[in-house]
Amino acid sequence: MTSSALVRGAATAVATLGLVGLAGCGALPELPPPVPTSVVPTDAPAPAPTSSGNLSPDGFDAAQRMAVRIRNIGCGSVSTGSGFAIDDHTLVTNRHVVADSATLQLSTYDGRDVAATAASTAGLADLAIVRTADALPSAPELADTDLATGDAVTVVGYPLGHALTVTTGHVLAPTTDPLNENLGQVYLTDAPVEFGSSGSAVLDAEGRVVGVVYAKDEQNRSFVVPVSTLRAMLDDDSAFTPAPTCS
Amino acid sequence: MPTDDPVPGRIDPPTAPLGPPASTTAPAGTPGPSPDLPPAPSSVPPAAAPVGPAPRAARPRRAVALLTVALVVAVVAAGALVGRMLVTTHAWERSSADWEQLARTHGADLATAQEQLATAQAQLTDAQTQLATAQARITELADEKAQLGDTTAAQSQLADYQARVSEAAGNVATALAHCITGQQNLIGYLEDSDQYDPADLARYKADVTTVCGAATDANAALQRELSK
Repeated sequence: MTSSALVRGAATAVATLGLVGLAGCGALPELPPPVPTSVVPTDAPAPAPTSSGNLSPDGFDAAQRMAVRIRNIGCGSVSTGSGFAIDDHTLVTNRHVVADSATLQLSTYDGRDVAATAASTAGLADLAIVRTADALPSAPELADTDLATGDAVTVVGYPLGHALTVTTGHVLAPTTDPLNENLGQVYLTDAPVEFGSSGSAVLDAEGRVVGVVYAKDEQNRSFVVPVSTLRAMLDDDSAFTPAPTCS
Repeated sequence: MPTDDPVPGRIDPPTAPLGPPASTTAPAGTPGPSPDLPPAPSSVPPAAAPVGPAPRAARPRRAVALLTVALVVAVVAAGALVGRMLVTTHAWERSSADWEQLARTHGADLATAQEQLATAQAQLTDAQTQLATAQARITELADEKAQLGDTTAAQSQLADYQARVSEAAGNVATALAHCITGQQNLIGYLEDSDQYDPADLARYKADVTTVCGAATDANAALQRELSK
């Protein structure tokens, strides 16, 4: 080997050492960053609740809170019926629930008395509205469309004038009114009702009002005034007239 | 490497014939021949030497120096590298220990939170049970109040009815008593009719008839109330 080759070899060795050194430095991990005092995220995603629960002020659901019990004190008779609020001071029930009364007494789902100021009945349907002096606890939303056969329904009312009861069923079919008290068709459901359930709200799966119970038959099936009729009556100022009294 | 070179500074004249060496004495300033290598030429024609002997000896020294420097540099670099590695290792050790401490802290916090969650869930379950019980009780109380209201209303109506019946019966009794009294008086007057003016008797009789008619009306009212 010549001297020049020796020098080249030495230079190569130096260069190699340099490269190895640089590579070694490069291969070394960086110094660790400072350890934080906490790794808890400040904006941690909130877990979605598995159940909405009853978020009303007292745990009763909206269907119960909107229900109203009606006591019709007539001239020599006392009867009871059901109703439901449609706004803070108005409730809907049946015409035959408030007819021929001397006094109407209202109470809410929690037993609170609500004073009635006036009652009006519809001429073309078994419907009535009652105005109240005190605010009602809750008012549901009226559905935009009528029921369809097979739809699930929930009825909230006071059967036989007893405790507030929630029953369920399905729409059996549209039919004509067997009592001839309603203009147009009504709906037949298998949701069980009793005397005293008249005026109960019929709710769909979303909790919207889709009808008003007004009668039952011997097979314990219930007849329902559709929400379209209710809407038509409410939209017509002349549809309701002061309810007849017995005095 | 220097030791790998069999004959440093050896000059191989390309045209010199091989043969036994004429002399074993190496030229001054050149290393001696290796026993394993052929002997150096006995004489070198001056005209055949392209480079002087001094520059030829400097290159190995430069190479040795360069290699020495390289070794020193390598050792220093290795030392620095090791130092850096130690520093880095210690830093990572500290970081690892800190992270472990942080993990243990958060683990303890998590355990505490889980315990609190379990407690809260148990309390929530109890509260839900109590709420359901309270709701059922509220519904029962509302129903009881409503039933009492119904009963009160019915009893009030019954009381009103009984009051009306009693009043009607009292009216009947009073009217009948007046009727009877009038009739008894009329009978007495008629027994001594000669002592009375016939016109007065007739007027009294009419009055008695009116009173008895009122009794009949009161009785009819009573019957109407009873029929309700």
